[in-house]
Amino acid sequence: MTKSIIKASRPLALAIVVGIASLSSTGCTQRSEITWHEPGVYKGGDDPLLAKQRDPQHIAALKERLVMGQSDR
Amino acid sequence: MARMKFLCDADRCIECNGCVTACKNEHEVPWGVNRRRVVTLDDGVPGEKSISVACMHCTDAPCAAVCPVDCFYTTDDGIVLHDKDLCIGCGYCLYACPFGAPQFPQKEAFGVRGKMDKCTFCAGGPEEDNSAAEHEKYGRNRVAEGKLPLCAEMCSTKALLAGDGDEVADIYRERITNRGGRPETWGWDTAYKKSDA
Amino acid sequence: MKLIKKRDLTATETNSVVKNILGSAVDRRTFLRRASLGLGGTAVAATLPTTMIQRAEAASAVGAEGDTEIRKSVCTHCSVGCGVVAEVQNGVWTGQEPDFDSPFNMGGHCAKGASVREHGHGERRLKYPMKLDGGKWTRVSWQQAMDEIGDKVLDIRKRSGPDSVYWLGSAKFSNEQAYLFRKFAALWGTNNVDHQARICHSTTVAGVANTWGYGAMTNSYNDMHNCKAMFFIGSNAAEAHPVAMQHILRGKENGAKMIVVDPRFTRTAAHADQFIRIRPGTDVPLIWGLLWHIFKNGWEDTEYIRQRVYGMDEIRAEVAKWTPDVVENVSGVPAADVELAARTMAENRPGTIVWCMGGTQHTIGNNNTRAYCALQLALGNIGVSGGGANIFRGHDNVQGATDLGVLSHTLPGYYGLAEGSWKHWARVWDLDFEWVKNRFDTGYVNTSGDVEEGDAPVPFANPMNSAGIPVSRWIDGVLEDSRLIDQRDQLKAMFFWGHAPNSQTRGPEMKKALETLELVVVIDPYPTHTAVLPDRKEGMYLLPATTQFETYGSVTASNRSLQWREKLIDPLFESLPDHTIMYKLAKKLEFSDQLFKGIKVENDEPLVEDVLREINRGMWTIGYTGQSPERLKLHLANKHTFDVTTLKAEGGPCDGDYYGLPWPSWGTPELKHPGTPVLYDTSKHVAEGGLNFRARFGVERNGVNLLAEGSYSKGAEIKDGYPEFTADMLKQLGWWDDLTAEEKQAAEGKNWKTDLSGGIQRVAIKHGCAPFGNAKARCVVWTFPDPVPVHREPLYTSRRDLVDKYPTYEDVKSHYRLPTRYGSIQAKDYSVDYPLIHTSGRLVEYEGGGEETRSNPWLAELQQEMFAEINPADANDASVRDGQWIWLEGPEGGRIKIKAMVTRRVARGVVFTPFHFGGWFEGKDLLDKYPEGAAPYVRGEACNTAFTYGYDSVTQMQETKASLCKIIAA
Repeated sequence: MTKSIIKASRPLALAIVVGIASLSSTGCTQRSEITWHEPGVYKGGDDPLLAKQRDPQHIAALKERLVMGQSDR
Repeated sequence: MARMKFLCDADRCIECNGCVTACKNEHEVPWGVNRRRVVTLDDGVPGEKSISVACMHCTDAPCAAVCPVDCFYTTDDGIVLHDKDLCIGCGYCLYACPFGAPQFPQKEAFGVRGKMDKCTFCAGGPEEDNSAAEHEKYGRNRVAEGKLPLCAEMCSTKALLAGDGDEVADIYRERITNRGGRPETWGWDTAYKKSDA
Repeated sequence: MKLIKKRDLTATETNSVVKNILGSAVDRRTFLRRASLGLGGTAVAATLPTTMIQRAEAASAVGAEGDTEIRKSVCTHCSVGCGVVAEVQNGVWTGQEPDFDSPFNMGGHCAKGASVREHGHGERRLKYPMKLDGGKWTRVSWQQAMDEIGDKVLDIRKRSGPDSVYWLGSAKFSNEQAYLFRKFAALWGTNNVDHQARICHSTTVAGVANTWGYGAMTNSYNDMHNCKAMFFIGSNAAEAHPVAMQHILRGKENGAKMIVVDPRFTRTAAHADQFIRIRPGTDVPLIWGLLWHIFKNGWEDTEYIRQRVYGMDEIRAEVAKWTPDVVENVSGVPAADVELAARTMAENRPGTIVWCMGGTQHTIGNNNTRAYCALQLALGNIGVSGGGANIFRGHDNVQGATDLGVLSHTLPGYYGLAEGSWKHWARVWDLDFEWVKNRFDTGYVNTSGDVEEGDAPVPFANPMNSAGIPVSRWIDGVLEDSRLIDQRDQLKAMFFWGHAPNSQTRGPEMKKALETLELVVVIDPYPTHTAVLPDRKEGMYLLPATTQFETYGSVTASNRSLQWREKLIDPLFESLPDHTIMYKLAKKLEFSDQLFKGIKVENDEPLVEDVLREINRGMWTIGYTGQSPERLKLHLANKHTFDVTTLKAEGGPCDGDYYGLPWPSWGTPELKHPGTPVLYDTSKHVAEGGLNFRARFGVERNGVNLLAEGSYSKGAEIKDGYPEFTADMLKQLGWWDDLTAEEKQAAEGKNWKTDLSGGIQRVAIKHGCAPFGNAKARCVVWTFPDPVPVHREPLYTSRRDLVDKYPTYEDVKSHYRLPTRYGSIQAKDYSVDYPLIHTSGRLVEYEGGGEETRSNPWLAELQQEMFAEINPADANDASVRDGQWIWLEGPEGGRIKIKAMVTRRVARGVVFTPFHFGGWFEGKDLLDKYPEGAAPYVRGEACNTAFTYGYDSVTQMQETKASLCKIIAA
């Protein structure tokens, strides 16, 4: 009786084994050496000015300089 | 916080090119590259007007949108800068820019494009502030020192203003009010159908 | 899109990236050779960025390494006097900052001022002394140059006399250098010394000084905030004085009406309320046309005229001839426009008048300037804030150089050349008068033929007391028959000391003159057009002088304010400051002891402060006596305390002073006179900057009182007109005992100009009086060829129909030592062959002869080619297209090859050329005649090659605003 079950499930087992084998040979997994392109996102170096420009004292100093230097005194 | 803006008062601009050479001076921009230019309309006839143009530091910058290597970034207060190390010199930003701000230094007599160069609002680039590397690639970083673009600070008639957009608008508004009953602003003639005297 | 991740750029690649931005690192010579395939501008465009070398240094200097020093100077390009702030690290000029504190520019600069840092690079500067040897420029040492030049000049002195050496000085000297230079020429023993003022505002100074006492700008640029009307005639401030436009436009925004009169629609005209296009050379008809309306409608200020003006009735008589239709016929200005302008000036007072070269550079320049004055006097606009005659001077220190007498017809302070003046200066110089006198060619007797009365002026036989040859005529000094020159011999040697030749007319003759001279010495930071124009094999030297940024001293802006310049950097290469060169040369010529008596000299450099102190001791006439080095330095340190409209410091260390102590700053520095911001302003006390018109022309004429009537400055104890102050007058007034004992000793027998103690001035002011008297301004100058200004057609005119009615003068046998032609030239009709009016002017990017600015790559890039502006109609008539090469030819044969710019800026029949170009001659680029590495980036034809003979009847100013030409396609 067992013999007949094994005989009947052989195509299924074969299919499963073949399935596992073929899946593992594709390249669908993410590998570390590929760069994923994100359009529109800056890719350059860091600029320390960005942080400085957020400093309220710095912002105030620039405003003061504008009024001091570029208005008609 | 308000955004950094340029404003050129065409009623005060006399095409003296002070802004142009101030920029060249400060950043040692080579011959052939003009980060800032003065454009004159109706040259030599009544109605002549001049305006100084450089990068406008657009909020929705077309140059940044089209760059294939995404070398542009914008500071919180609206200054559009770029990374010359990433730049491939394709020139697409020049296609996109409505003001022709991106410039390409001529590498040789036959004009091979180098890295894109443009007005930085005197804010340098993605290097250590006021370092030698930043100076060589992008010019001076005045903003990091608490100063404003030299073109505006040296404008002979204070036509060109640069700084916090709200404050610039205030200065300009005061000027307009002072001009009072002598309307010479752009568009006034159109709006009020005043004929040329 | 999947991308393969980039590897990081290696260090070497980063460097090459950087190099690609900055340009390739090939050798410049191969580069230029390759690039020369391109045309002019594009070839230059491919050049290496010139600042490569210094930039590398500068780049490394940026950052924490060197301490950044801030030093302050004044721009050297025009008379506005913009403050320059320099960042200097380790002796290198690494940055320029805006001088917000300066009340003159408040940080602003034009293209030239914004690029002065390039002077610190000096790529194309003259680097070391050079000598022309067998047609090649060879380097020599300073010692050798001084020895050879000195020997040659002494030899010429022996053979031909001291007058055969011409000392051409500069408007770019500092005050101290200018003073030393005039003294230098005096102790050499000649009056053949001059500078750019001759060809710039000489007619202004003569005309205006002879009208009301001083020939300088009466108000200031800043004062124009207060104007209600501004009348510009022959002034293109937007290009010549850009930062002045800051003040002008503020005035306009405050409500002033702006009228611009010019043959071209200039950039200044673009901002005007009314633009009047005028035929070149017809200023007098237009002004008289304005006055015609003013008199007709009774708009003149009769009370002002009654009290303060002499001779207005004679003006009325002349003006009556200039009815609207006549004015329109002669000047081309429609009647309605003239009336509108007159009405605007009359209804908007106080109004100011501004004029520059457009008005001065004519054979009747002195008539033009006096007409402008008459207009303002009629309107009562002189001596009022917001009014005045705002004469914009040119070079940065042309005002100072003029004041300090670098002129062939006077000594420092406009004292003149009479014996009394020499004695005054001999006292100041602490030299024996007889010794000074014997330095001159005392043996010379005038043998130039009979000089009749009516030839103005009658020359003296003694070279010490007769005006020398002016710069406008130096060519004739070389080439004219020596029997016709009123000195022993022709000029044999010439020093171009800070002066270019391409600003003078008659290029082909100039070339010949430069080839005829035995010795030509150029002392300049740049070689200049002088170095390349003549075809010579030897007898030429180029000596490198520093710019004003490499030395220090004081400079006088157009509004008469003195500013102190700090030294920014050490002299570049082997250049030396002008005063050091003067010391070395004087030493070789063996009068350095006398020249620098009382002035400390260290390492061959005279102490600048000592020179200013000597100036303070001698310049009583115009009040250069109160501006001591200490006071000027205090102003420099406290610029921000001065009000931007009034120029007055209220509070602070300079409390009460006006910025720069605008002259006259009367009395000694101890008197602390604050300076005179607005001349002739009777609303203030003299001690506080008030003034009235000068009593200079006598007390009475033809029975009419020349002194002021009922008009006097605030607080004057003499409430009427009075003559100039003398010791005797003080005694008569009972004020003699106000003098201290020392002052009495010095002042005995002297007057306000010659009293070296300053006591007479002090006491006069103490009693509220102006030391130079209180008189009326005069509209009639009875010593001039045209006492009442009249119109005369230019020598080369296209309106032959007007020549009979408005002819030029008759030829003069001797004027400034030379025969001068007028009528004999105008007699011939050139207008058929040369139908276009040729006029010249300025560009904002360049200055003067242009060598300095055309050697600055940041400026040169903006104007790369010499051109002429031609109206479309004329272009079509000549079959010339925009951008095409053309030949422009003048009636005396000079021809230039330039580009055509077809524009409506000029009217039909008028051609305009800028005068800043040099380095070409008649179609040929003279690049290979420049010393190696010292050619300007941009070279071009000098427009003056094609300009013609024509000289003002009083000052010998050249006529560069109205000549003739023709255009041919090249």
